[in-house]
Amino acid sequence: MIVCVAVVGHQNNPLYIQSFTEADDALKLHHVVHCSLDVVDERVNNPKKSGPMLNETYLGLLYPTENYKVYGYLTNTKVKFILVTTDLDVKDADVRNFFRRFHAAYVDAVSNPFHVPGKKITSRTFAERVSTIVKAFGLSSAG
Amino acid sequence: MGREVSESCVESLLIEMVSSYCNRFYADKPELAARRIEAIGYQVGHQLSERYTMERPRFIDHLEAIKFICKDFWSEIFKKQIDNLKTNHRGTFVLQDNRFRWLSRMSIESSPETTGSSQDGEDKAAQAMSMHLYFPCGIIRGALSNLGIPCAVSADISHLPACSFVIRIKA
Amino acid sequence: MDPANTPLGRMLLDEISPVVMVLTTPLVDEACQKNGLSFIEMLSPFCVFNNIDVPVRTASDQPYRLQKFKLRLFYASDIRQPDLQVTKERLKEVITKAGEEESLNLHLDAPQPDDLLSRSESEVLPSWFKFFNKELIRTLSFSDHEAFDHPVVCLLVVSSKDDQPVNRFVDLFNTDQLPSLLNDGAMDPKIHKLYLLLHDNQDAPPEKATKFLSEMKSTFGANALQLLCINSSRDGLVEHLENPWTLYKSDALSTHSLGRFLNKDDVNEIKDLTQDLASKHVIPSMEEKVRVLNQQVSATRKGFRNQIKNLWWRKGKEESLDASNGPTYTFSSTESQIRVLGDYAFMLRDYELALSNYRLISTDYKLDKAWKRYAGVQEMMGVTYFMLNHSRKEAEYCMENAFNTYLKNVPAGHQNATRCGLWWIEMLKARDQYKEAASVYFHISGEESLHSAVMLEQASYCYLYSKPPMLRKYGFHLVLSGNQYKKCDQIKHAIRTYQRAISVFKGTTWSYIKDHVHFHVGQWYAFLGLYDAAVVHMLEVLMCAHQSKTTQELFLKNFLHFVQKAGKACEVLKLPLPIINASSLKVVFEDHRTYASPAAIGVRESLWRSFEEEVIPSLPTARTNWLEVQSKPISRKRKESNVCIVGEAIQVDVEFKNPLQISIPLTNVSLICELFERSDEAQTDASTSSELQNNEHINLTAERLMNFDKSSFALSDVDCTLESGSTTMVKLTVTPREEGILNIVGVKWRLSGSVVGCYNFLTTTMKKTATRKKKQKRSFTDNLKFEVIKSLPKLEGLIHTLPEKVYAGELRHLTLELSNMSEAAVKNLKMKISHPRFLNIGKAEHLKVKYPTCLEKRTDGEQTGSLAQPIEGSDSVFHFPNDIVVRKDSPLSWPLWFHAAVPGNISLYIVLYYEIEDAESFMKYRTLRMFYNLEVLPAIDVSFQISPLPSTLQKFLVRMDVASRTSLEDFQIHQLSSLGSQWEISLIDTLFHPPLLMSAQAFTCFLMLKRCEKPKGSDEVSSLTPCIGGDVKLSPNDDGESLYDISLSPLSDFHNCERLHQEKPSQGDSDTVDFVLISRRVHSESGSGVSYSPCLLSNHACHCSISSSSPISWAVEGPREIHHNFSASFCEVSLRMTLYNSSDAVASLRVNTLDSNQSGFLLSDSSAVLPTNQEGWYNVSLESEIKVTSDVRGTILNSLSSESIRPIIWSGSSSTKLQLEPSSTVQIPLQVCIFCPGTYDLSNYVVQWNLQWPIDQGNEETRPNSGTCPGYPYYITVLPSS
Repeated sequence: MIVCVAVVGHQNNPLYIQSFTEADDALKLHHVVHCSLDVVDERVNNPKKSGPMLNETYLGLLYPTENYKVYGYLTNTKVKFILVTTDLDVKDADVRNFFRRFHAAYVDAVSNPFHVPGKKITSRTFAERVSTIVKAFGLSSAG
Repeated sequence: MGREVSESCVESLLIEMVSSYCNRFYADKPELAARRIEAIGYQVGHQLSERYTMERPRFIDHLEAIKFICKDFWSEIFKKQIDNLKTNHRGTFVLQDNRFRWLSRMSIESSPETTGSSQDGEDKAAQAMSMHLYFPCGIIRGALSNLGIPCAVSADISHLPACSFVIRIKA
Repeated sequence: MDPANTPLGRMLLDEISPVVMVLTTPLVDEACQKNGLSFIEMLSPFCVFNNIDVPVRTASDQPYRLQKFKLRLFYASDIRQPDLQVTKERLKEVITKAGEEESLNLHLDAPQPDDLLSRSESEVLPSWFKFFNKELIRTLSFSDHEAFDHPVVCLLVVSSKDDQPVNRFVDLFNTDQLPSLLNDGAMDPKIHKLYLLLHDNQDAPPEKATKFLSEMKSTFGANALQLLCINSSRDGLVEHLENPWTLYKSDALSTHSLGRFLNKDDVNEIKDLTQDLASKHVIPSMEEKVRVLNQQVSATRKGFRNQIKNLWWRKGKEESLDASNGPTYTFSSTESQIRVLGDYAFMLRDYELALSNYRLISTDYKLDKAWKRYAGVQEMMGVTYFMLNHSRKEAEYCMENAFNTYLKNVPAGHQNATRCGLWWIEMLKARDQYKEAASVYFHISGEESLHSAVMLEQASYCYLYSKPPMLRKYGFHLVLSGNQYKKCDQIKHAIRTYQRAISVFKGTTWSYIKDHVHFHVGQWYAFLGLYDAAVVHMLEVLMCAHQSKTTQELFLKNFLHFVQKAGKACEVLKLPLPIINASSLKVVFEDHRTYASPAAIGVRESLWRSFEEEVIPSLPTARTNWLEVQSKPISRKRKESNVCIVGEAIQVDVEFKNPLQISIPLTNVSLICELFERSDEAQTDASTSSELQNNEHINLTAERLMNFDKSSFALSDVDCTLESGSTTMVKLTVTPREEGILNIVGVKWRLSGSVVGCYNFLTTTMKKTATRKKKQKRSFTDNLKFEVIKSLPKLEGLIHTLPEKVYAGELRHLTLELSNMSEAAVKNLKMKISHPRFLNIGKAEHLKVKYPTCLEKRTDGEQTGSLAQPIEGSDSVFHFPNDIVVRKDSPLSWPLWFHAAVPGNISLYIVLYYEIEDAESFMKYRTLRMFYNLEVLPAIDVSFQISPLPSTLQKFLVRMDVASRTSLEDFQIHQLSSLGSQWEISLIDTLFHPPLLMSAQAFTCFLMLKRCEKPKGSDEVSSLTPCIGGDVKLSPNDDGESLYDISLSPLSDFHNCERLHQEKPSQGDSDTVDFVLISRRVHSESGSGVSYSPCLLSNHACHCSISSSSPISWAVEGPREIHHNFSASFCEVSLRMTLYNSSDAVASLRVNTLDSNQSGFLLSDSSAVLPTNQEGWYNVSLESEIKVTSDVRGTILNSLSSESIRPIIWSGSSSTKLQLEPSSTVQIPLQVCIFCPGTYDLSNYVVQWNLQWPIDQGNEETRPNSGTCPGYPYYITVLPSS
């Protein structure tokens, strides 16, 4: 299942970070997401590592922690989407699909004229959409 | 999910915005009005670029981004591409649109109340035009800066209806 | 680079080096202990050889020379696997000791990552890491699956004091106390022995020793025997510069005393001993062993056949394996021999040979599933590859392989894995693969928390030094390790790691993490009792609006608690809580402008000034006035600094915002001020300028605040509680008590009773309301800088009984009271009122009068005193009489009249100017600004319609519509007065009395207005003189009230204002009349909120034009009733029509009499012709009983229409034309013939008129030029005379 999703702005400032666990490990997840930024930077800065998927938005598996898998997605506007999951076998297609929908949701959220760019995303609709996407991800990967 | 809006609406909105900023809010200080309009454009461009760059690989260099502006971005907004792109390879790009949509329906000859020399009528018209150009300039600047390219955008309407936008990328 | 010089290389050189087992007798150690050393400690400094130039020849034939070499000496008793528990303890205390040293530099804040990067790794990493790792590796020494810890040579030491040294030698080496390695057959018990005789020169001369030696030579052989003489110096005063033993004595209490008795030649002797111990015994024995083993191995295992045989053989003994860790290999087994061979070769730097043997053996072990040994060999292979410095792939593969094997397949192999990991890490580091190194650290950070803490910390540094630096992971791992440290309460280490982590998160918006780190560091500091540091960190987490409510409470609670512990309660520190909105700062002070009420302060300054303009003397002169008075040096200052007066408060409004979800109590919020004597002004400037720098100045001012004697100024002290997320405006005041320069520096408050925070205004910029008329560009400092001057009189003023809600038209009698608190008196009072229409200044004698009775008409004629002198100009200044001087305890009260002219919200501005009596005072004058805002409710609407009576020219019919606009009050209409001498008004029927005007009702009544014939011009003054019949009493007779005299002062004054405000209608210019309707509120307990007072309501209707729409009016006069004998002839009646031109233009008139029956048409037409007359107003205008006439007329019209022929015709001229001068009358005759009796309407004529205006006045659009009026109904009754 997805443990946490996050949107991180182009100055590596958290725009939206939401954990989907009952356990109180928000801090840990924050750390995980924060660390994943290192990997993102690494991927972007020396593309030879990222190899074939050169400057593709989808960054794939960033790094496996002891019990999480962290996937990343970097938009053209240097906004990062982070997905933390506990599933061991995740289909790449699922993750890509998830990120696509997540990105769409994000775009709609920031297109709101009252949203201040670079500030945290507080829109409730966005939160709801994200949670539905997350649920959908769970189902699709299960099936 | 391509929601569309009638062109006439957009244009009248633009005209209304410009006129209300120039004649109502900042009637006495046009440069302030210009800045406000440009800022509005900036935000619009900022958000549009977010939307229109979905599903596409990241740009490697500035040129790619500019090309994106010329092709996809422009045709998303104006249903046509930029006709001519020039650059001195030192960070200045000139995007020329031979028939810029938002000016194409504007009357170029001097407005009626200027019965005097047609000259001042001319530059009055030019003045009005340039006011309408701050918005697209802002859009371009917003889009580029959101793509991580800080720049300054200015427009040139020396030979209408062609309109050319000059992008100077801040090194 | 040369792998031998890498950290790993060096580590291997001293970890993997030949071991010498030492057996000593107690006397030997006794001898050594004189130097505070054990025997081994005495030797070991000299067991490291940097260039022992020894030729070595191993398997290959060509020799090579060893330069670096090292021997490890161990007592036989120490040669065994160290006990885990013990080692754990040792590690623990290693760390704790490190922690102690850490505590020295705890307080200096954490270094930034980048300057960490700038410095070299060695100085950033805590020094004890290396030591710790070494200890960690030590824990694995003398394991049975590796041979490089196996003793190569055994050194037996006997003191010369022992009796029978020979026998001692023998029973020293008896097997039962030999280490287990030898006994359980893990290694070859046949070990090369070396005998050493130790002689203490203090006991006996060396000759004795040599004697022993010589006799022993026979038994042990010459070269296996050595003599060592020590303690040659009699007095133990040998000073060794750079004492060699300190390094080896871990717990060095008195380092200089080490080796006191060892003089130079002793040391040299030791050197020689170890030298040839290494070169003559250790190395040769190893060489030899290597060669022997090599031959065996190559015999049994080299070559294809041996390989096959080996395989078959192993297959054979597959099943006989115990699964645990393969078979047990004795020293004699080929495998262990090969291993020994490999290790020896390694120690002799013959890496090729070592590698080949390791390769050989690893396969065997693998096949035997002897995992531990297999892993060990893999490990060595990796290291060897590294030392050979080629194929790093291989090396890393081997290390990884070994590592995983240890972890997976070896029971309790974690220790080994750790060592392997450490070596691997060093290998990676040597190749700048820090990231991988970090992950290895992460893996070897086991479940045992202390251990893992150290590993994680090392991992974090690896991330720091990886290229590019991965700061976030660095931070994360620091936090992780900090956690582990905390678990095994190594608080200081925890703090260190967290503090370094802070530097990573500083400046980012990852507040969640930041709060966590700061909060814990704070708590740990508190735990250590370092409350100041704790508070510093807790300050960081106070602004946690994003946290949950409970968390916020927790943070705040802890913070306050720590602060109390720190004893900071009285100390001032920069609190982030609550937020102060600097832009909302407002400073209100009174210099020459004083305010009667806070409302007055709110009014815009410019507004006041516009009022004050003609009250105060023009500014520049004023300034020079009060500057000249002052002494020169201050005058300059005065110009740019505000002026305030001793004893008068300066008010500062500060806005506090509470971002948290919990409410925070603030107590004694007050300003921080400083008051200087004028003398040290320069110093003040200096200080204030310096004060623009921030918080250390805060404390500065704080203590300055402390030592300021409170006598110099008084501060207000406010307590308030900020609700969650609320913003509150706090009004603070400072009242200077002495002259000088007053600086308002900032504001300080006490947060929930314990913490005192303060905020410095000077660092911020803000707007200020009460800014003086001066250059608007002024530095902020000046805004909060005040020139305190000595106290001045100040007037307090208020208006008594000024209601805030009144009904329109109410007329009230108020008193303005001015009191002067100070000793000095004030004079030359002037007053100005913004709305004279509403507020009017009475006269002194009005003060006592009884209102409203004072307004009643006196029956006797004396009204002289109360005659209103017209006030000039609506907005002029009222000068109080010059003799009026307001002193202390003699307040001045002055009457005011208030008249609510129009409904709505009225703001009254009153400016009161007064001058200070003593001439040398700083200011000549001051002004008192009063402001009142009151609501006027609509009460009564009255409207008048005037129209000339058709019949008579001098009389006009007045229709008065009175409507009550309020639903709450009843009004008693009292009287209606018409102003103007030439008018007199009366009720049409004197019996009629308008009813009590109920709420929200209306009535209409008709009155007769008559122009009395007195040829007086209509100029203003005389128009106000009362005349008899000017008033009509409308109230029922029975109440005893008499009429009110509207010409009395307040009424007349207000009336004038009304006249001015109700602009003239452009039409009917001169011929206007003013009405004043006076009514009273009937007292009723209605919830209108308007205080009841027995007051009048006066409604003024001015400029009611009497001229009807047409400028022409006429009257037809003649008989009404005629007796005529129709038998004789028809009746001829002659009438007289008087026309009056009320316009001021020449009118040309024509009167047409119509015989045709068109009256109906004309009437209907008339309404069209004259649109300005509403609701057919004067069609029904008959002198008497209206209702009757109408239906009569109706019948008449019917009769007229019914009749075919008309019994009445006009005779005489059917059309008359004439010119009529302005406001003149003319009479024309009319004649009518009547044929039969009856009642006839003679209205069937038309008056057409046409005005010729002079050219210049061309406002045609307002006045009709010409028109046609139908005739008025004129009924004549003709009766037949019998």
